[in-house]
Amino acid sequence: MPHKRVSSFVFLDPAGHRWPLFRRVVFWSAVLLGVAGVLFLAAVWIRPTLRLPAMVRELKGHLKAEALSAPTPDTKAVNWQRFYEQSRAVREGVTKIRSQLDSQASGKVRLGFYVDWDANAMASLREHSAELTHLAPEWLTLSGVHSNLTVEADAPLANYCAAHGLKTIPLLRNLVGDQWQPEAVETLARASAERQGKFASDLAVTLGNLHAAGVLIDFNELDPALASKFTAFFHTLADSLHAAKLELWLAVSMDDEFKTYEIDALAPFVDRFVALLFDEHTEGDLPGPVASQEWCEGWLSVIEEHGEPGQWIAALGAHSYDWNTTTRELDTISFRDAMTRASYAGVDTEGGFSVEAPTYNGRFEYSDDRGSHEVWFLDAISFFDQLRTVRQSNLGGVAVNRLGTEDPAIWTVLLRTKPADDEFIAQLAPLKADQTVTHVGRGEIVSVDLSHDDGVRKLMREESGMLRGEYLDAPTYPALYHQGAADKSKVGLTFDDGPDPVWTPRVLDILKERGVKATFFVVGRNAEAHPELLRRLIAEGHEIGNHSYTHGNLAGMPEWRQRLELGATERLIEAETGRRTTLFRPPYNADATPSDVAELSPLEFAQREMGYTVVLEKIDPQDWSRPGPEVILQRVKEQRRGGSIILLHDAGGDRSQTLQALPLILDWLAERGDSVVPMSELLNISHEEIMPLTQRDAQSGWRVVAATGFRSWRWFVETLWTFMLVATALVVVRSLLLAWLAWRQQRACRRRPAIAMENWPAVSVLIAAYNEGKIVAKTLRAALDSDYSGTLEVIIVDDGSTDGTAAECRTVAANDARLHVFSQPNSGKSAALRLALTEARSEIVVFLDADTLFERATIRKLVEELADPEMGAVAGNARVGNRHNFVTRCQSLEYICGFNLDRRAYTAWNCVTVVPGAISAFRRSALDEAGGFSHDTLAEDTDITLMLHKLRWRVGYAPDAVAWTEAPETWRALAKQRVRWAFGTMQCLWKHRDLTFNSEHPALGYFALPSAWFFHLILVAIVPLADAILLWSLVIGYASALWPYFATFLLLDLLLAALACGLDHVPLRRAWLIVPMRFAYRWLLAWVVWQSILRAVRGALVGWGKLERSGNVTESGSTESAALPK
Amino acid sequence: MKSSRRNTRLESSSLVAVAGLIVLAIVLISLGAHWWLARPGTNPHVADQPATGIMTGAFMDFGDTEDDVTLEKIETFEQLTGKHHAIIASSSYWGEQTFPAANVALIARHGSIPLVFWSPWDRPYKEGHGPDKFSLTSIIGGIHDEYIDRWGDSAKAFGKTMVVSFGNEMNGSWFPWSGVFYGGDKTAPGGGFQGPETFKAAWRHVVDRVRARGATNVKWVLHVMDFSMPNDKWNLAAKYYPGADYVDWLGFSLYGAQFPSDESYPDFFSCFDWPYTELTQIDPVKPIMLCEWGVGEFPEKGNKGDWIRAAFQTMSDTAKYPRLKAAVFWHERWQNSANEVDESSKENAGKYSDLRVNSSPDSLHAYREGVAMPLFLGRPPRDP
Repeated sequence: MPHKRVSSFVFLDPAGHRWPLFRRVVFWSAVLLGVAGVLFLAAVWIRPTLRLPAMVRELKGHLKAEALSAPTPDTKAVNWQRFYEQSRAVREGVTKIRSQLDSQASGKVRLGFYVDWDANAMASLREHSAELTHLAPEWLTLSGVHSNLTVEADAPLANYCAAHGLKTIPLLRNLVGDQWQPEAVETLARASAERQGKFASDLAVTLGNLHAAGVLIDFNELDPALASKFTAFFHTLADSLHAAKLELWLAVSMDDEFKTYEIDALAPFVDRFVALLFDEHTEGDLPGPVASQEWCEGWLSVIEEHGEPGQWIAALGAHSYDWNTTTRELDTISFRDAMTRASYAGVDTEGGFSVEAPTYNGRFEYSDDRGSHEVWFLDAISFFDQLRTVRQSNLGGVAVNRLGTEDPAIWTVLLRTKPADDEFIAQLAPLKADQTVTHVGRGEIVSVDLSHDDGVRKLMREESGMLRGEYLDAPTYPALYHQGAADKSKVGLTFDDGPDPVWTPRVLDILKERGVKATFFVVGRNAEAHPELLRRLIAEGHEIGNHSYTHGNLAGMPEWRQRLELGATERLIEAETGRRTTLFRPPYNADATPSDVAELSPLEFAQREMGYTVVLEKIDPQDWSRPGPEVILQRVKEQRRGGSIILLHDAGGDRSQTLQALPLILDWLAERGDSVVPMSELLNISHEEIMPLTQRDAQSGWRVVAATGFRSWRWFVETLWTFMLVATALVVVRSLLLAWLAWRQQRACRRRPAIAMENWPAVSVLIAAYNEGKIVAKTLRAALDSDYSGTLEVIIVDDGSTDGTAAECRTVAANDARLHVFSQPNSGKSAALRLALTEARSEIVVFLDADTLFERATIRKLVEELADPEMGAVAGNARVGNRHNFVTRCQSLEYICGFNLDRRAYTAWNCVTVVPGAISAFRRSALDEAGGFSHDTLAEDTDITLMLHKLRWRVGYAPDAVAWTEAPETWRALAKQRVRWAFGTMQCLWKHRDLTFNSEHPALGYFALPSAWFFHLILVAIVPLADAILLWSLVIGYASALWPYFATFLLLDLLLAALACGLDHVPLRRAWLIVPMRFAYRWLLAWVVWQSILRAVRGALVGWGKLERSGNVTESGSTESAALPK
Repeated sequence: MKSSRRNTRLESSSLVAVAGLIVLAIVLISLGAHWWLARPGTNPHVADQPATGIMTGAFMDFGDTEDDVTLEKIETFEQLTGKHHAIIASSSYWGEQTFPAANVALIARHGSIPLVFWSPWDRPYKEGHGPDKFSLTSIIGGIHDEYIDRWGDSAKAFGKTMVVSFGNEMNGSWFPWSGVFYGGDKTAPGGGFQGPETFKAAWRHVVDRVRARGATNVKWVLHVMDFSMPNDKWNLAAKYYPGADYVDWLGFSLYGAQFPSDESYPDFFSCFDWPYTELTQIDPVKPIMLCEWGVGEFPEKGNKGDWIRAAFQTMSDTAKYPRLKAAVFWHERWQNSANEVDESSKENAGKYSDLRVNSSPDSLHAYREGVAMPLFLGRPPRDP
């Protein structure tokens, strides 16, 4: 018997083939997807074989040693003589005023010059702070004809100095950019005593705030004609500073500018004079020694004639110069930079180079693509020789110009007070190559060579006590070879982080209008979303570079991740444009002078492993910080002379300022005479070499795999988005339609006059009961207590209850003849109802669940609807009676705004899909015509409703026919109930699939049933996926794109709930519950739907049997199959 | 009836068509005329002088060879003075053997007229000595024709108005092309004084060749020193005038005190009035350009701000000086050689001459106020 019933079930798969087939399909799909994923990763992992010509790519081979040309006579070495003679004359005629200030008596000063833009300066300071007593950072500037004092202090540095017992003595200079501004000082020197006094006290306050020990004044290009005015001005300054316990130090250049100051007149109140014993040959001069021994000695003899010897500090050079004798450019370089040049040019192996008489400065020559170079360098040997002379003069101290450029061995020399012995000489000989990054060349396109190699030099002691040396093997430091600045009128325009669908096209429009070709460093992730922009970039002649896939900091990633980042972007560019790129720019740290080897490692990796050429930049107007288009332009103007590659951004936020600044920048560059060129032109190679077409080679296959992968993924994402859009639109339309229909129906009902029936028809109320002993008496009394004025009978069938249900019924029956009680052995609810139906004698039958309580008017309201002879069945308004926990409260709201609202609306178009078993009324003839209740689905109420529709009966809804039902009170019970409903719904939808899109039943076929399919099954099943995407979007930061959709859904839910509550006269505040329901209740429903789907697929007997039995035993309410909420 | 109505309609529609054609023709003709007139280099007599007002110009400290013209320097100066300048002056020294193409192009793009001092001398460009390999006689002898022609070709290629001052301040004694170095007051073979006659011959030679290359966009300014040195009859400006056909502008340099050794601080008016009058008498119509004007900052000798204020006041007297159409300020600071041997200038050794507009707050203020006057034009007049 059970077997027979079960075998007719919808979805039953008696042979049991479906489930294994389904599992096989799922398994193999997963395997296929996995293999595709692995293949894709492999395709991205493969390193591209492409490389630029070695010329561009490698540092080696660029530099060539040149034979040392005959040195030009050092005419400047004797410049001091003029001053010496004058000084002697002065000294003989004037009695010297000796300063009595304490500071001069105190110990020897060891001062370091410091710049904040070179990380090597900080590194040097950290290592040697113990060897120093004072630090001179470039903090103060005096500029403009109005003598403005600008402070650019560095608080961390000040703190560092304080913590390490270093006194800071900041430099005050009249330098702006590369322009000395003498008028800033001269105006002040000519100003009134009042103005000078004001400046002096301001300076004292500023220095106090900086916790400085004083100030080191370094003015240049001043007019010696004003010497006495400067003296008076410095006097005012000194008075003010001394009153604040601050010192006044004055830097004095060792050249014609020596005349600028009246040293002897200044000596009484200037605490220290700092003699700048370097730059004998510098900017504007022909190549020559930075500070020859003879020159230093000469000037030392001059300064000895002025002031106290102890008042003087000898600032010794520790920097070097690289003169390009072809282009006449001068680069200030460090000792390490000089060594790297010598090493790569092979100067050491081809004859070597030395530091020896007469200059005791180092010198070598080499050539590269940009011409011939002459390098003059200072090292520990020259430092030793100069320091020796300084000490003989018994001066007040020594300064090092500047930290970060020095030969590291000078610190050993500085600590040495005794003459050099063999042991000391041996100490200076090895040239240890550390991790300090060195730079060669000019430009922002770089090749990296991280190799480093120690060197060695040979030192010799001369009879005079001087040291000289020979470089046998120059050390090699990690090096960046800079290119791309050969033509000063060429400038590269680069855009990072795109492409972006909003900003990139606008940038491209501007560039197109002006015929400008730029270079775009694209982020793979963005390019993947907008491949059409990649193609447009190429079509319009721009160049594309790799900017990683996710724009993460590559320096912090393991190499495998770096490879994936670069590989994925590379493959994407290939797939979309048919071209490859050789250009790479690392996210972050793109300024052209990285000083940390750790920062360089991604660059080196990209170059070594992936064959990329690295493009950095020096013109960074920081457009991303949105300072205003004018400021962006101004920054480009200020930085243009210092660089040849401009960095802008075409993505990553609101780029409207960049867009506004771009035409201004292009106009300005055009006016300046610059041509804006892509990277290939900066490198002087062809566009085809930078971005070659992909060709058939060993990697063609991998390229196809990668391309397919990217396309599939995009297809998937696009489908998902389309679905989101369509679903949102449908939900909105359906919600509005429902609201409108329900509201209209309500109005129609209200307008309809109450039916005054002459003869109320006889009604049979049918109840099936199983173990409902606690409540059945109440149910029966409520039904019998009806105000229905026609003939009423109540038939209850006890389905073999074991809790005395039958006895309860009989007690009630004893007092009311209208009640007829029957019993049967337990055989299911439908069997019980079938039995009840055979006993019923009325034309109208009302079905009632044993746990559902009627109101007095319920039966009358139901029957009123049946006055229409075409009406086959009427649904009542089932409401949850046990609203005392979250689960039942949720259900209550769901009944009101899901089931009842839908039904109200559907009535308008006669397409109610279910007349619930808990409370419904049927016309007996309709029921019979439909063949009664069938048993091949779990939702016989839905089944019969759809049957009635097929037979052209109308199906109505009586919202005022309220019955209070008992809802499951636990999640588990609810889930069980809902699985049954969902499964039953699916069965009915499937069984009556001919009704879907059936034009004979338009409302049902095109509205009610598709709604059930889409909103109650598909959409509910997808809820977890949508929520997961939302959560993921929160993590990766795309939330802004998705939130509107979710907000729309939620708002609609809320509005509908409010409307439903209003229509059902329930307090509106209950509608708020829809919000937590959205996040908890919905997941349950999703689980339910999936469970049902799996069961349907499985279609196995074991599933039916269990389900059927549990349905029989615990059934407690109606099957509300088609009313799962949206 | 029908047909007549159709006729009326026909008539009215053909009227509309004719009117439309006329309008179209007018538009096309005026567009064409505009295009024709706007073509560069078609009109040999481009009005580069304004009908009213004085074009404001400056030399903006373009370095030792006066040719390091950069947009940054121009913008810095104009920001400092608060005024776009209609004329920007720079030099082209023959020793470089080039045409300053980048400089004039930059100045034109900036919306200004380039004034180029085309000086026939050789490196190291030191004043105070006689002729070198670019002597006037070698120019007349055709030795440098290749360079002149090349220069003319480049000027033609540039195509926009430029004003050229060849051999400026020839009535002085410091540049090697001065009349004093070419026989001075000796009688020339063809009559007249040999110094000025040699200069004029060289001028005509140069102008003829450049014009022969088709560089009609070049306007020539005869650019003398305010007072001749020596101030003798043979050396007066008029003696150097090569003829109305060879000159577009008449110009002069005017400097107040320039060196620390200068004893006095001569006022602007006395340096301006006489030379202006002298030039107006050479030719009755040619516009006059103050090709260089400036003064050093020597507060103990005189007040630079007042001097500049007086300069603007004088130049503003358009009733008295109606032909003054341009004034070019000399913005430069230089250090006088430390190795001065000449006894008279020994005092200058190593000291600075600060002719910059911002040598003092008051100087800058005076200049800013002066150029802010509407009379001083910040832009050249538009080409017709």
